[in-house]
Amino acid sequence: MMLTIIIFGLLTSGCIAWYAEGRKENSARWIALISFVIFGLFFIFSVVTSTQNYTELQLLVRVPWISLFNIEYALAIDHLSITLLILTFILAIICVLVSWQEIQEQCGFYYFNLLASISGIIGVFCAVDLFLFFFFWEVMLLPMTAIIAIWGHENRHFAAIKFFIFTQVSSLLMLVAIITTAYFHAHQTGSLSFYYQDWLKLDIPIEMATYLMLGFFIAFAVKLPSVPVHSWLPDAHTQAPTAGSVLLAGVLLKTGAYGLIRFVIMLFPEASHNFAPVAAILAVVSILYGAKMAFAQSDFKRLVAYSSISHMGFVMLALFSFNFVAYQGAVITMVAHGLSSAALFSLAGMVYNRIHSRNLNEMGGFFKSAPRMGGFALAFAAAAFGLPGLANFIGEFLSLVGAYQAFPVIVIFAALGLIGSAIYGMVLFQKSFQGPSTTNVLDLSARELVITGSLLLLLLVIGLYPNILLKYSFGAPTQQLSTLTITPNKAKDNILVTNIFNAQIAQLTGGQTL
Amino acid sequence: MTQAILMTFAPQLIIAFGIVLSLLLIAWQRSQRMIALFTQAVLIFALLLSVKLLSVEPTEVTVLLKVDSISVYTFILVCISALVVTQLSYKFLKSQIEVHDEYYVLLLLVVLGSGVLVASDHFASLFLGFELLSISFVGLVGYIRESRHSVETGFKYLILSATASSVMLLGIAFIYSQTGDLGFTAENNVASAHDTMFYSVGMLLFISGIAFKLSLVPFHFWTPDVYQGAPTPVTLLMATVSKVAMFTVLMKCCFSQNYFASENLVQLVTLIAILSMIVGNSLALKQNNLKRLLAYSSVAHMGYLLIVLLITQQESIAFAWQSAQFYLSAYILASLSIFTVITLCEADCRDGNSEKELTIDSWSGLFWTNRLLALLVILAVLSFAGIPLTMGFIGKFYILSHATQAHLWYLIAALIIGSGIALSYYLRIIFTLFKQDEKASRIVNYSAGEQILVGLFIGAGVLFGLFPDVVGLFIV
Repeated sequence: MMLTIIIFGLLTSGCIAWYAEGRKENSARWIALISFVIFGLFFIFSVVTSTQNYTELQLLVRVPWISLFNIEYALAIDHLSITLLILTFILAIICVLVSWQEIQEQCGFYYFNLLASISGIIGVFCAVDLFLFFFFWEVMLLPMTAIIAIWGHENRHFAAIKFFIFTQVSSLLMLVAIITTAYFHAHQTGSLSFYYQDWLKLDIPIEMATYLMLGFFIAFAVKLPSVPVHSWLPDAHTQAPTAGSVLLAGVLLKTGAYGLIRFVIMLFPEASHNFAPVAAILAVVSILYGAKMAFAQSDFKRLVAYSSISHMGFVMLALFSFNFVAYQGAVITMVAHGLSSAALFSLAGMVYNRIHSRNLNEMGGFFKSAPRMGGFALAFAAAAFGLPGLANFIGEFLSLVGAYQAFPVIVIFAALGLIGSAIYGMVLFQKSFQGPSTTNVLDLSARELVITGSLLLLLLVIGLYPNILLKYSFGAPTQQLSTLTITPNKAKDNILVTNIFNAQIAQLTGGQTL
Repeated sequence: MTQAILMTFAPQLIIAFGIVLSLLLIAWQRSQRMIALFTQAVLIFALLLSVKLLSVEPTEVTVLLKVDSISVYTFILVCISALVVTQLSYKFLKSQIEVHDEYYVLLLLVVLGSGVLVASDHFASLFLGFELLSISFVGLVGYIRESRHSVETGFKYLILSATASSVMLLGIAFIYSQTGDLGFTAENNVASAHDTMFYSVGMLLFISGIAFKLSLVPFHFWTPDVYQGAPTPVTLLMATVSKVAMFTVLMKCCFSQNYFASENLVQLVTLIAILSMIVGNSLALKQNNLKRLLAYSSVAHMGYLLIVLLITQQESIAFAWQSAQFYLSAYILASLSIFTVITLCEADCRDGNSEKELTIDSWSGLFWTNRLLALLVILAVLSFAGIPLTMGFIGKFYILSHATQAHLWYLIAALIIGSGIALSYYLRIIFTLFKQDEKASRIVNYSAGEQILVGLFIGAGVLFGLFPDVVGLFIV
């Protein structure tokens, strides 16, 4: 019930914000901020007070929705979803704060879109009926496209269309896979079902599972994004308004990773395991290619966008190494990248507000006039290239350590991406904040200090005391995976079982030593 | 023929009777307002009767016609579209001094033609309905004589439509030569007849004739010109009534003829479907004129819909019908919505200069000036594009379900590619609505009644999109 209230509450407050802006200027942003804070606190409060054990999926609500196809409205959460939902709420508040002054036209409709998009994202993270999941998947997409297309920069229409077509075509593939699996369920058990838990019980022949897995994989790989379906991302990120970029990089990319964990790997473990080498190669290519391309950019936001491709490569590599430590690393990287890329995009927005350019060649020497901004920029750039003590380091380190057991050679190449990230991180910082001073810029305002300060604080906390997350990301999917793979009729048992063994050792020791 | 049997065919009879009465009405007094109201009354009466008949048992009305719940449901769709068309036509014709009462008679004739088509169970009644529909349309498409395109449009439609019906007639003759029966369900010797060349050629010609009306590739060339040249309400009538009736009768005939037993025909339909999806969407890409764009998009939509014709076994016929009915309903709702907005905008434009065609750019910034109209356009376009929240998505979901069950992977691939192409022009329309520039469209004035109509469409679009079960109650 709680999440239903949150999803519809956010949507309603979106409508209220839209309406209120017409009555009284600047009321929409307050409504948006207040509703995010209230619903965020409400969510955290109800999770903390609940007695349920969220290491496994806990069903919250399940009611029939479309009886023609036996589709249900079913929501469930576990630790993974809770982590990502909290991240979503934090970034949603950041989004409102960064758009506080940037958005001047059609504010009411803007905040409506922002709230609608967030409520769609929340739906994605907790839907366990695949049709409902697809529904939310699209619901988050439409307002996002509107945000890019209406409030974006000069080339916004092209970027928005590209973004929409990429995601839409790939999600149609997923839709076909969803329908096929549902009818396979009907074929095997006699009744049509889109319910996630029902699908977990299915025994799908490996050949068919491979195709179905590919349908899901492509949709999520586009969202992640992974080479070769990444090309929407630099355009969309560059053209979107600051809040749009923050939302895209911070949360939307994570829905791809979430989908990979929840659906690709959990529903089709064998098929994904067979596919893992391909996915790992794609991941390492993304890591290196993203780093290389980031290095070559002269546009602040484009650089950060390519760095996202590189960072999400680590997530994919970690997920497909079927290893417990790597899985931990993937979850932490997701959160860390969400925070650090959001921070960098906010910084880009702040710089853009001051000099009305994203071109790095027109920047330089800001450190002199804006030392606080410079300090934060350095810290966030350091987070992006994985300085120990900040969250990204933990995530990437764990990912690489875990993945090394599965793909030693690939991981050696992937580790090179860390050097690449140091290079582009420094390029970013040097070009904008160091060198001869060209223009004087204002230092951070109080509102901007809150944004950057809170993000840095979170990065530091996770970086210095990762148990705060590890405590929660322990368990759930990997344990479910183990119960799944132990069933005797599945092939490739031995490999998976060794992984599970590793996982359990890690679980016993890792929690204490890390 | 008993009274009960006659009752099942009553809606169509009401329309026929209404036509005669409206002729008398014209002889008595020529008034645009009166005839429009009378037409609407007839349509509403037929509609109500049809709703009552919805759960009717399949009944044979003579050898020619067979009324079942499918034909009743389709006729309801036809009546609803015709009602909206009448309303829009009134707005459209009001601006002229001449009294156009024969327009409404032609409109009712189109409805009668489609009523016969959806209930036909015999090639003779099929041809009867087909011709009734086509000939009335010839009168309607060139109706505004002063318009620049009227002669071109009328002739194009007349000649091509006549060719199509003669080709179809030849096809029916060939089929008859093999089966010796003009009824759709020629149960006795169809199986053996399937293998003969004449039967295949006959079916080929027959399908071509219908494909012309459905504007499927490669019989689509007339569509954009006629859509553009005809008065907008007539275009709407063509996009809804004619398409629904033709598709229903095609499906009925094909399923009764057991056509899927013949490999060649299935391949032919597959080819037409794939071509329509890809070609229709690609040609729509570069269109600026809204009506032309919608013409090409309708080509693609009929291509998607053809997928339901491709079944592999007898058992999936019921589901195929369900999918087709749902998809057609979604398509009609979206068409009605978008054409309503086009008519309202056109009527508003016309006050200024004599004749102006609506391009995508004339909707620039509509969202900021006319929020309700723009919302309706967005909803309609999203429905065409098959994005969730709308009926179009559920329609697409039906079609994909049908295709996955029948393992039509090539068609699914074509559908995905086609939808991908389609998105770029659908999104262009939506983005234009949000443009913020100086030459933003001015405020469109429309009456309270029309406002209610627009609100009704928005409500229906959202309701049926979120809760398709409501429609599911009616389609069996």
